Amino acid sequence: MSQDTRTRPPESGARELRDGLDGPDGGPSVSGADVLNRLWRFFISMRTGLWLILCLGLLSLAGTLLVQAPAGMTSDPATYASWVASIHSKYGGWTPVFDKLGFFSVFTSIWFKSITVLLTTSVLACSVNRAPRLWKLAFHPRMRMSETFFTHAPLRASVLVSAGTGEASDYVRQVLKSHRFRTIADSDQDGLSLYGDRFRWGPFGTVIAHLSFVVILVGFFLSATTGFKDPSFTAPVGQSVAVGHGTGLSVQAKSFSDVYYPDGSPKDYSSDLVLYKNGVAVQEQTVRVNHPMSRDGVTFYQSFFGEAASMKVTDAAGTTLYSQAVPLAFTSDDGTHSIGQFAMASKGLTVYVIGAASGKPDPNIQAGQMQLEIHQKGTTDPVATQVVNQGKATTILGVTYTFQRTRQFTGLIVAHDPGVNFVWVGSTLLVIGLFLVFFFPHRRIWVRIRKTSGGSEILAASTMKRDLAFKPQFNQLITDIQLAGTPSSTTQEAGQNDA
Amino acid sequence: MLSLSQYSLIAGLLLVVLAVICYITALMLGRSVRPEPVMAHAGAHADGGGVATAVAPPPPNASGQPRSMALYGTYFTRLAWVFLTACLVLRTISTGHGPFTNQYEFAVSFAWGMIGAYVYFEHRYHVRTIALLILPIAAGMLLYALTVGATANPLVPALQNNLLLTIHVAVAIVAYGAFSVSFAAAVLYLTQPETGRPGWPKPALLDEMGYRAVIIGFPLLTMTVVLGAVWAEIAWGSYWSWDPKETASLLTWLIYGAYLHARVARGWVGRRAAWLLVVGFASVLLTFFGNLFFGGLHSYAK
Repeated sequence: MSQDTRTRPPESGARELRDGLDGPDGGPSVSGADVLNRLWRFFISMRTGLWLILCLGLLSLAGTLLVQAPAGMTSDPATYASWVASIHSKYGGWTPVFDKLGFFSVFTSIWFKSITVLLTTSVLACSVNRAPRLWKLAFHPRMRMSETFFTHAPLRASVLVSAGTGEASDYVRQVLKSHRFRTIADSDQDGLSLYGDRFRWGPFGTVIAHLSFVVILVGFFLSATTGFKDPSFTAPVGQSVAVGHGTGLSVQAKSFSDVYYPDGSPKDYSSDLVLYKNGVAVQEQTVRVNHPMSRDGVTFYQSFFGEAASMKVTDAAGTTLYSQAVPLAFTSDDGTHSIGQFAMASKGLTVYVIGAASGKPDPNIQAGQMQLEIHQKGTTDPVATQVVNQGKATTILGVTYTFQRTRQFTGLIVAHDPGVNFVWVGSTLLVIGLFLVFFFPHRRIWVRIRKTSGGSEILAASTMKRDLAFKPQFNQLITDIQLAGTPSSTTQEAGQNDA
Repeated sequence: MLSLSQYSLIAGLLLVVLAVICYITALMLGRSVRPEPVMAHAGAHADGGGVATAVAPPPPNASGQPRSMALYGTYFTRLAWVFLTACLVLRTISTGHGPFTNQYEFAVSFAWGMIGAYVYFEHRYHVRTIALLILPIAAGMLLYALTVGATANPLVPALQNNLLLTIHVAVAIVAYGAFSVSFAAAVLYLTQPETGRPGWPKPALLDEMGYRAVIIGFPLLTMTVVLGAVWAEIAWGSYWSWDPKETASLLTWLIYGAYLHARVARGWVGRRAAWLLVVGFASVLLTFFGNLFFGGLHSYAK
């Protein structure tokens, strides 16, 4: 993105710096300073940045072409190993190689992170290195150019006018002003020197764009390290569910609806949600895809839905152990069953509630039935498995289970992400910066006015490095100066090569 | 309405093919007729730098054939663009949303963007030779669209955001169009010796054109990614999910970012920078066709 066209290549900047550090006497260089110096030169080099970007690109390519492990999977070695085994058919003998290299989780790999850190360092170093020079170019421009500049600049013109130097200077300034150029006059012995420029703040776009990249990365970092995201938050209709994470919020879905097109493809999913803060209803909104609800920085997104089984569990004494709807939010590996789960800590029991997945009838678990799989803490196999009928109390191992009815649950993503605002600010700055650099190039013109026997000679010259579009404007400027000055003769040349 | 849109697409495709034939004829006639390369004079008032074209004004006393063939090529191209515009507008009216929701619509839009970008750059730089690269790719896109089929499916909930759908994809299409111009310019640049080849656009002009196209395309690509992030945050609850389409566009963004640095870095100016434009466009195509094999969150756009 570095689009500064006026500064010298970084190499020369580095040389400048070294001269400054070493002083005119030179002397033996201290090795520590030398290392730092080399490091600095490394980071401000355009080529360093370029290679880092390309390395990041290569990693992104690997991450795009190779299947990536689902987020969070790498934290569980057993699950991850079975996942790697499942993709073995796809990559064959390469699978362990790619795995070793971290190519199945490229974007969280040490490679990706290290290069991002190096690139960020490079971006910061370049910005620090460049900003002072941009400042000088914008606010303390070089006023006087040498004679050879006026005879060799890529854009140059000479206009002879009958007016005196003072008058000529006046209308040159007027013409420049009418083209929205700022002009600064600098008197000298021969006559007058003028400097004019436009969009002097344009080059700062490069600093803005580069720093915005860092701001976005800060946002990514905050997103990864702070806040919370609960991607499978389930709320059975009619039941209030606490959000947790110290928010004091709880959500109740008053209703859920899913609407389909005639061809069966989904049209709309929506939940009527009531939000409670410390038990007091504070907000009510219909949340649908593309229309999330936000409160106190916590956002609720419509994500999925399904069936929940209302369960009532009592012990032999008739005490209620559990009475809630259990969302069957998980799907069995073969996709035929929906599974929910609840625990009764006092009894050390975990109960899986299993129903046939929609459209996948199971002769063993029919409509109006649920299969309960009861696990005792400390054992791997279920202590009991039984199909229960709706509305019928069934006692298993001294505990009475009643599957009361099914109702819908809505599945939400609940997230609090403090990094997101950094990302938006960074993105906005990035776009602004790019537009500044590319569409508001700093355009400069130097004018020298000399007294001649018949009046004055106006010499104008400019650089147009990487800004060929300036050429027509320069020509128009010269034409306007000619018209304003009723010239006696004009010569004008335009070079093609950069200065 | 949809069938009318489809007819416009076919008309557009035929015109693109005709334009390619005209350009090839013009190039071949130009080669045989023209003894010397033609340089438009770089006068004080010439705009946008020197003008040298392959399929360009022939010497004054040469046959008028190449010139008129090339002109026909230009006219056919513009007409093709008008027909494709009609195709997209009719489809938008018929479906009620921007023509950006499946591979068919996006392929037609992509071709529209490429041809539009070509028309603009041809008008600006008078370099018609790039058409020989851009138009066949555009024609390929249109053919691909025809094979995919024009069925208009209703929008799934995630896509039901007309504002973001329209801006996010429309901006991408203009960016991709601009990148196709830079790709064509880079290929012509790379297939010439450093000093240029008689009758071909000058390397310096191609370099400039490739760059001009990127400085239009790159901010727009950035906007595409940013708008995509905004939309993802609203619809999927996360501004970035490392979805394959996202990572592919990140790759594209990195390559063009590298190009912009390469163009001012020692040892990279010229050919290496031009290679990055070629790689960049390959990445654009990967991002576009990736839907077919990546899966991921963008897979509804199949």
